[in-house]
Formats: sequence, structure tokens, C-alpha cells
Amino acid sequence: MKLSFSAQDEAFRQEVAGWLQANLTGEFAQLKFRGGPGDEHMFQAERQQWERKLAQGGWTCVGWPKQYGGRGCSIEQQVIFFEEYARAGGPGRVGHIGEGLAGPTIIAFGTDAQKQKYLPGIVAGTELWCQGYSEPGAGSDLANVKTRARFDAQKNKWLLNGQKVWTSLAHEADYIFVIARTDPESSAHKGLGFFLLKMDQPGITVRPIQQITGTCEFNEVFFDDAECAADDIVGKPGDGWKVAMGLLGFERGVSTLGQQMQFQNELNEIIAVAKQNGADKNPVLRQRIAKAHAELKIMRYNSLRMLSGQSGSDGSLQKEALIYKLFWATWHRDLGELAMDVMGPESQILEAEPYQLNRLQALYLFTRSDTIYGGTNQIQRNIIAERGLGMPKEPRG
Amino acid sequence: MDFTFTDDQLLFCKSVQEFLQQEVTPAAVRKSWELDTGRSDERWQQLVNLGVTAMLVPEQFGGLGMNELDFVLLAQACGQVALPEPLVETALVATPLLATLAQRDSRCASLLEKIATGERKIAIGHAANNLVCDAHVADFLLLPSGNQIHLVPRDQVKLVAQASVDPSRRLFAVEWSANDETCLVSGPEGVALLAATLNRGALGAAAQLIGLAEAMVQMTVKYTSDRHQFGKPIGSNQALKHHMANCAVKIEFAKPTLYRAAYTVSKRPVHADFAVSHAKVAAGEAALLAAKNSIQSHGAMGYTWECDLHIFMKRAWALDKFWGHAGFHKSRLHQWLMNPNAKIGADKTFGEQVA
Repeated sequence: MKLSFSAQDEAFRQEVAGWLQANLTGEFAQLKFRGGPGDEHMFQAERQQWERKLAQGGWTCVGWPKQYGGRGCSIEQQVIFFEEYARAGGPGRVGHIGEGLAGPTIIAFGTDAQKQKYLPGIVAGTELWCQGYSEPGAGSDLANVKTRARFDAQKNKWLLNGQKVWTSLAHEADYIFVIARTDPESSAHKGLGFFLLKMDQPGITVRPIQQITGTCEFNEVFFDDAECAADDIVGKPGDGWKVAMGLLGFERGVSTLGQQMQFQNELNEIIAVAKQNGADKNPVLRQRIAKAHAELKIMRYNSLRMLSGQSGSDGSLQKEALIYKLFWATWHRDLGELAMDVMGPESQILEAEPYQLNRLQALYLFTRSDTIYGGTNQIQRNIIAERGLGMPKEPRG
Repeated sequence: MDFTFTDDQLLFCKSVQEFLQQEVTPAAVRKSWELDTGRSDERWQQLVNLGVTAMLVPEQFGGLGMNELDFVLLAQACGQVALPEPLVETALVATPLLATLAQRDSRCASLLEKIATGERKIAIGHAANNLVCDAHVADFLLLPSGNQIHLVPRDQVKLVAQASVDPSRRLFAVEWSANDETCLVSGPEGVALLAATLNRGALGAAAQLIGLAEAMVQMTVKYTSDRHQFGKPIGSNQALKHHMANCAVKIEFAKPTLYRAAYTVSKRPVHADFAVSHAKVAAGEAALLAAKNSIQSHGAMGYTWECDLHIFMKRAWALDKFWGHAGFHKSRLHQWLMNPNAKIGADKTFGEQVA
């Protein structure tokens, strides 16, 4: 155990901080602390520009191996990068699905051709991705996907038909990765494929879904003979579930570091409001603020402990990783409630018409979803009990 | 000892509840969001015709001469449908204040008669709330100024709309100046009436919160029975059953505090603080838990605009902080509890609570 950074790492910290200080200015200054949970719809175009700016500086995909265009940063350096990025108020990353999910999956499971075709756009910050997993009938029961993929020999293409739902940023994305059923006779985890599709094509229709925040961050995506090139399936037909699960491992791995820094900024904002409006004098609220701080530190310690350990090259996770989603989601949902209680009756008043929320209100409403998307708290507890503790499986179906 | 409602009280509630369930559907609530005022004059007149605005108006002023205990179930029914119109604030909060003053003030007497018939509308402000609900559709506003209460025509105030997170609510900052002409009461009597007003406001909010909680649980029970995953209704999972069972416990344990508070407000209003605060805290907890567990049980549907759940959740979040937030009411409870003369013995459940 060594809970400090080397001189070399500290030099790296200076480099990151210096670059951000020099570049998160001018036209990008307005993006500081923007685009977080509940604020994703803001400054889309400007944040895409920012993504390219980051790429020019070599600050996208910092954890990826150099051979794929990444910076090849060690875990320590990635930690430092996310810390400094948050400290500088770096905006929510529009490229996070490509960098955190699609890219690592392609690196782990993709062909050389797929790597050459897709990774450079992610690294350059020019191509955005979205994730086509959930369907109306496949939420918690994710393996119940009904979207079908049929290989058309004449066209030499996969044709996809069906519907995805809750697809974040589908309206901005250039590509989507999709799990779809390659074997129409199959059920559950078997007979699925993992496909990479271009969003801009006649076979794909995107319909936004309005959330209780009044904004539309996610969408329904309809596939009507949507085309996927023959060699744009990752793994073999039937391997889709394995690939998808590997990806969920990435989702709960390094990408959590940036999220925690975002949380820290939100907590700081709540503390600032409390100091300003006198809520910091209220002993009950003081205790809740201290509790939030303590638990955020626990999350952070646990992530660093998790990332320090060995994890499989396929993205598989150690047991302690299983608790993470449940912990952060519940913490963040509570943070939203704390924000509203610190604001007091003012929390009920909109910033402006029509339905313009302030940042903490948006945080509150958005965080109602945290304990649901990406595996509900109930599913997480089943995973902890069944996979973590080895308890008997709940009867399903 | 009889901790139940009379047949008459239940019957009256049932008839109004049936009307509300029929007319104030989620679709109707959404429709009112599109109206300039956010309010349906037609629906208000229907409520007037049912006699509900007249319930707490004394008989000599054309009302039904009933009390807060008679009204509390109706307030709960208003919560069950998330009624946008200010029935609770009108009938339960404002008219008893006017009734207290009507014997000696003809303005109040005349206004009461017209509230009963639906010819006039009233809005009410209080120091506990920095904003006034539905001031834009009121003919008169009851407004506090220090220890005074004023009755001010709407055309003598300036209203600044403050949009609410709950799209059904219409809140206003009121700019006005007090003068002798508009003053109804002042001094210790004013203070006492403002305190009683706060208790009725909190009582009405508590009742609506319980109604909202019931509605959310009902919606969620239906959704989790209909929605299938892993080949069975999601509600068959213990995790979700327990979510709803926890809500049911909170709601059922909040109801007696509400009914007790309504009783005390109607019988011994000066000793109602502790009972009202207890009810407001319990009802707020029930409604917030119902909101949290209902959205969780609805999965991603629950945080869409299209799902009706947020109509009820947003009202619950708003009312929990109106007429005194949980911290305010908990403070009142512990102040009462720590009073050296507080009568808190085993035999004091329903007796006089303060020496």
C-alpha cells in the first residue's frame, strides 16, 4: 500500500492542470461545470467542439493503450487526470460513451479492421456513440431483447428490426452499438449478437423521450431494416451477451472516477448554497452534509482500491465492484434530496419559464433516475446476493 | 371514545370524491397546464355547486356551518387527484379566518356569502410561505403584515408570477402596501389568528400529502401488476412488494395523526400546534417515501414526463415544503415536548396537552 503519488505523477498533474488552465478559456469558459447530470442537454455543440479541443491536446482516451491512439496513462495518471479535469470545472464529456464503453469493447473484442475504422474517431472526439441495450420488454430482464438481426446474403449486410429505448444521446450520436437476436429461435442470453451501426441511415428513426426535468436526454430508437456491414458485428453471432457483459465491466470501472469528481463539485455547490442561505447553521442539515462528504470519500477510496487490483483483460470485475452501482446511485439520489432541503422552499421555484430548472433542481429531478438506469437497485442487490455472496438464485420466469 | 368519522361525514366525502375521481383525471390536470390561468372556471363552479366552498362558512352567511374535521377527508380526496384548483386553501384555510371576523366586519360577512355561492374567490398569504397560491384568480387576498391581517382587492396589489417545479401550481410574489382601510385585525388577536391560519394550512397540506401518497401507491400497484419482466409481473418480486408495503405502513400510520389534528383544530384550536405538526411531518414522510418508492418501482417510465406519476410526485415535493417544512414542524414538536409543563404521561394521549 502506498497512498501517495510519485514525483513523476505529480509532474503529470501539473501538465494536466496547466493545459486545462490554458485551454478551458475564451469560447470554452462558459462550459465550466456544465453538462453534468440533468444538464446534459446544454451546450451540445460547444461541448462537441471542446471534445475536439481535448483531442488536439491528447486528452481524450487517456487510459487507452498508445497503439490505439490513447495516452497510455497508468491508473494513477487517470485518477489525476479526472481529479484535475473536475477541479478545473471541465464540462460533461459528450464522448464518454465512445471513450468509456464502445472503444474499450472494440479494443477487447473487436477485429483489427473494426479498431482501425472506429477508434480514431473516438480519440479525435469527432464521432459520438450511443448504447442500444434496453427495449420496452427488456429492462431489468435485459437478455429478453426482441430486436432481430438477420443476415442478408445478397446485400452482404446484417439487417436489424426492432426498438431500443432509454437510449441516451441517440439524437447526437454518429454510431450506436446494439445487442440484437441473431438466432430467432433463441431466448435469453443465447443467440445474441453485438452490432456497430451508423445512426444516419434511413432504417433508423430516433424519437426523443421527455423526462420529468422537461428535457430530452434519452430516446426511443426504431430499427426498420437498419443496415450493419457484414464485418461490423463484434465477436461471432451468439457472442453478443458475452461482449455486452464485458462492456458493463468497463462501465463500472475507470469511468467512475470522473463521475465522483462530478459528485464532488455538486456537493461543493450544495455546501456553498448552505453557507449562503444559512442552512449551514441547521444541525440536521449539517449532519447530512457531513454524511454525504464521508460517503463520497468511501466511494472514492473503494474505487481506487478496486482499480489498484488486478482485473481481467475482458473487463471482468472483482467482487467489491459489485457494490458500486448500488452505493453511488443511492448516494447521488440522496444528494439530490439534500440539495432541495438545503435550498428550502426556494427549491420549488423555477429559474425561468418555460420549465427552466436551476442546477440543483435539475440534479434533484435527474437523480431520481440514478437508482434505476444501468441496473436498478433491486437488480444490484440480487447481483450482490447471488454473484457476490453465492446465495440461491431468485426464480426467474 | 370514538376515533371514527360519522356516516354523514363519510357520505359527503364519498360524493365529492366520486366527482373528483371522475372529473379530475391526470389528463384533465395536464389540460389545465395549458390554460393561461392554469385553472378551470367550470370545474370551480362544479365544486361550488357541490357545496364544498360553503362547508366551513357559517350558516348565517349562507354556508353549511361545518368544521375542519368535516372537511379533512375532502382535503385528502383533493390530494388523491392532485386537484390544481385551490379548494383546500379556500375552504379550509381562508373561510374560517373570515368567519371569525365576519360578526364584526361586514366585508368579511359579504365575502363569505359570495365564496359560498362562487361569486368571489379568495387567496391567502402567510409568513410561513413566501409566496401566495392562486392569487391571480382571486378577487381578494388575505395578507399578513406583522401582527395584522389585511383584506386587499387584487387590483390593489402587484403580482409577480413564480413558476413552480410542479406545473399545476400557480405561485405569486405579492407586492402591496398595508393601510388602515384594508386592515381586518391586529395585535395579539392578529397573532393568534395567524397562528391558527398556519395550523389550518399545514393540516390541509398534510391531508393532501396523504391523498397524494395513496394515489401514487395505487398507480404503482397497478403498474407493477401489469408490467412483466423475467416472464412474470414485476410486482411479484419481494423487493417491489416491500417497497409498497413500507409505503402502506407510513400512510396508515400518518392517517390517525391527520384525523387527530383535524379534531383538535376543530375543537381546541389554540392547543393544536403539536397535533398539526405531528400530522404534517408524518404525512410528508409518507408522501416522500411513496414518491421515491413509486418512481423506483416504475423503472425508467417513472421519470418520463409522459407517465402520470410526476403529477403527484411534484405536488408532494411542493406541499412537503409549504405551510412549514419538515424541519419547522419537527422543531415545534420538540419545543412542545421539552416544555416543562408538557402533559406527556400515559394517560394524556387525548387530553389537554399544555398546562
